[in-house]
Amino acid sequence: MSGASDREAVFPTRQSLGLMKAKLKGAETGHSLLKRKSEALTKRFREITRRIDEAKRKMGRVMQIASLSLAEVTYAVGGNIGYQIQESAKAARFRVRTKQENVSGVLLPAFEAYQTEGNNDFAMTGLGKGGQQVQRCRETYARAVEALVELASLQTAFVILDEVIKVVNRRVNAIEHVIIPRTENTIKYINSELDELDREEFYRLKKVANKKLRDTAAADKEMKEKREARMAELAARGQENVEPEEYAEPRNILDAEVDEDVIF
Amino acid sequence: MEGLFFNVNNGYIEGVVRGYRNSLLTGANYTNMTQCETIDDLKLQLGPSYGDFLGSLPPNPSTSSLAAKTTDKLVSEFRYVRANAVGALAKFMDYLTYGYMIDNVALLITGTLHERDTRELLDRCHPLGWFETMPVLCVATNIEELYNSVLIETPLAPYFKGSLSHQDLDELNIEIVRNTLYKNYLEDFYQFVNAHPEMTGTPTAEVMSEILEFEADRRAINITLNSFGTELSKADRKKLYPSFGMLYPEGTLMLSRADDFDGVRLAVEGVADYKTFFDAAGLGGGPGGPGNLAGGTGGAEGKSLEDMFYQKEMEISKNAFTRQFTFAIVYAWVKLREQEIRNITWIAECIAQNQKERISNYISVF
Repeated sequence: MSGASDREAVFPTRQSLGLMKAKLKGAETGHSLLKRKSEALTKRFREITRRIDEAKRKMGRVMQIASLSLAEVTYAVGGNIGYQIQESAKAARFRVRTKQENVSGVLLPAFEAYQTEGNNDFAMTGLGKGGQQVQRCRETYARAVEALVELASLQTAFVILDEVIKVVNRRVNAIEHVIIPRTENTIKYINSELDELDREEFYRLKKVANKKLRDTAAADKEMKEKREARMAELAARGQENVEPEEYAEPRNILDAEVDEDVIF
Repeated sequence: MEGLFFNVNNGYIEGVVRGYRNSLLTGANYTNMTQCETIDDLKLQLGPSYGDFLGSLPPNPSTSSLAAKTTDKLVSEFRYVRANAVGALAKFMDYLTYGYMIDNVALLITGTLHERDTRELLDRCHPLGWFETMPVLCVATNIEELYNSVLIETPLAPYFKGSLSHQDLDELNIEIVRNTLYKNYLEDFYQFVNAHPEMTGTPTAEVMSEILEFEADRRAINITLNSFGTELSKADRKKLYPSFGMLYPEGTLMLSRADDFDGVRLAVEGVADYKTFFDAAGLGGGPGGPGNLAGGTGGAEGKSLEDMFYQKEMEISKNAFTRQFTFAIVYAWVKLREQEIRNITWIAECIAQNQKERISNYISVF
C-alpha cells in the first residue's frame, strides 16, 4: 500500500488536518481500550474453557452415578416404572432461571437452576417397594440436571464470548493496521500539501514584491523624466514665472535660502 | 394324609417345577457372570439356561431387552405349568397372577386418567398379569366406564368392591389405589390358602402362610418407610396395612403411629428377624439415615433393608422346596425366577455402565 493512495479523500486544509489529528487520537484511545477489552474477554474465555472441562468431567461422573441409581430402582421395583413416573409428574420441580452477566460490555446469559419446594409429584411411587430408591434416583438425577444446566450456561457463554472476541480482535486489528496508518498518511499528506501551499504563497508574495518594486522604479523614472522635461521647458521659456518653481518642488522654508536681513 | 392323593392331580406339575428350580442359576454361575467384560460374554454365560430366548437378541443387547427376554422365559414356563394345572392348583396359580394384574390395572387406570390411548399401554403390561378381557378395558374412555368394566371383567372385582369407588380412582393417588388393591389381594390370598378345603392343614397352607405373612409385613414396613415426607396421612397409611402377618396387630398399630425410622424400628422389635434387619440397616445407613440405603451415591456399605427383605424372601422360597406335596413351590419358583431376572439385569447394568465395584449386590441363595 503506497502511502499516497492509502489515505482518506479530504481536501488538504487546516480544518481537515485538525479533524484528522482528532481522529488519530480517537483511534489510538479506542485501540488501547479495545485491546484491553479483548484481553479481559480472553481471560474470561480461558477461565470458561477450564470450567467447561471441569463441568464435563463432573457431568460424566454424575451421569454415571445417576444411571446406576436408575438401575438400582429397576432392581428394587423389579420392573419399569417409567410410565407411572411420566404420568404422575404434573408440574416441573426443577426449574431454570436465566440472568445476565456483564463481562466488559458483553452480556452473557447465566442459567440458574432451582427447585421448587413442596412439589413432589411422585412421592408415592414405589410405595409398596423401592420408594426410597425412586426418591434417591430422583435426587441423583436432579444433581445431574444441575450439572447439565451449569454446563449449558458455560457452553452458551463460551460460544458468545468466542464470537465477541473475534469481533473485538477484528476491530483491534482494523484500527491498528488500517485506520491508524491511513489517518497518519492523511495527516502526512495534508501536512505536505500545506507546506507546498506555503511555499507557493511565499514565492507568489516574493514575485508580487518584485513586481511592485519594478513598478515603483518605473514610476519613479517616469516621474523624474517628466519633471526634467518640465524643468527643461521652464528653463527654455526663461524665468518669466517664478511660480513654476513651486510646482517643481515645495520650498523648504527653513533652510532653502538665507533670508535677506530686514533693515528697518 | 394330604400326600396320599396329591400326585394324582398335581404330581406332574410338582415334578416340572422342581425341574425348573434346578435350572436356576447358582452361586457359581453368578460368580462367572460377574467376571464378564461385555454383555455378549454375559449372554454366553446365560446360554445354558436362557439360550433359546436370548438367541434372537442382537450382539450387545440393551439391559432392558435382556430383562424382557429373561422374563419371556419365565412367562412361557409359567404358562406351560398353568395350562397343565387343574383344580385347586389352577386356582392357586390364578391367585399368583392377580398381583401382576393389579399392576396392570393400575397402569391402565393411570393411562385413562391422563386420557392416553390405552391400547399403547397393553404392551407395557406385565405378561403374567394378562387376562383375557384386558383389551376390553381399553375401550373405556372415562374413569367411571373403566371402573365398571374392571368390576365386571376382571377377577379383581372383589378387591375393588367395598373399598374403592370410581370417584376414588379419580381423586386418590394411583399408588394408594394400587396398595389398597394389593392389601385386599394379600388378605384374600391368605384367606384362600388357609380356607380352601384342598389346602387347609396341608404344607401348602403352612408354607404359603409364612410367605404371605412375610410379604404383608414387608409391605407394611415399606409403606411406612416410604410414606415419610409425603402427604399420606397416618390414618390413610393404616388402611394400607394388610390385616395379618407377624406384625399384626400390635406391630402394625405401632407402625401406623411411627414418625421416623426409629419409630418403625420400635414397631418391628417384636419380631426377631426384622429386628436384625433394622439393626443392620441402621448401622449401615448411619445416623438418621432411612432404611433403604442401597447407596445411590456409592458410599453406603453393606446391604439395604430392601436387599435384606429380598434375601429373606429368597430364603423362604428356597425352603419351600424342602416340603413336598405343596403348591407353594410354584409361588416360590416364580419368586426365585423374578429375583434371578433382577440379578441378571443388575449384573448387566453394572457391566454396561462399567461399575464393577457394586456388581456383587445380587442375591443368590443356591
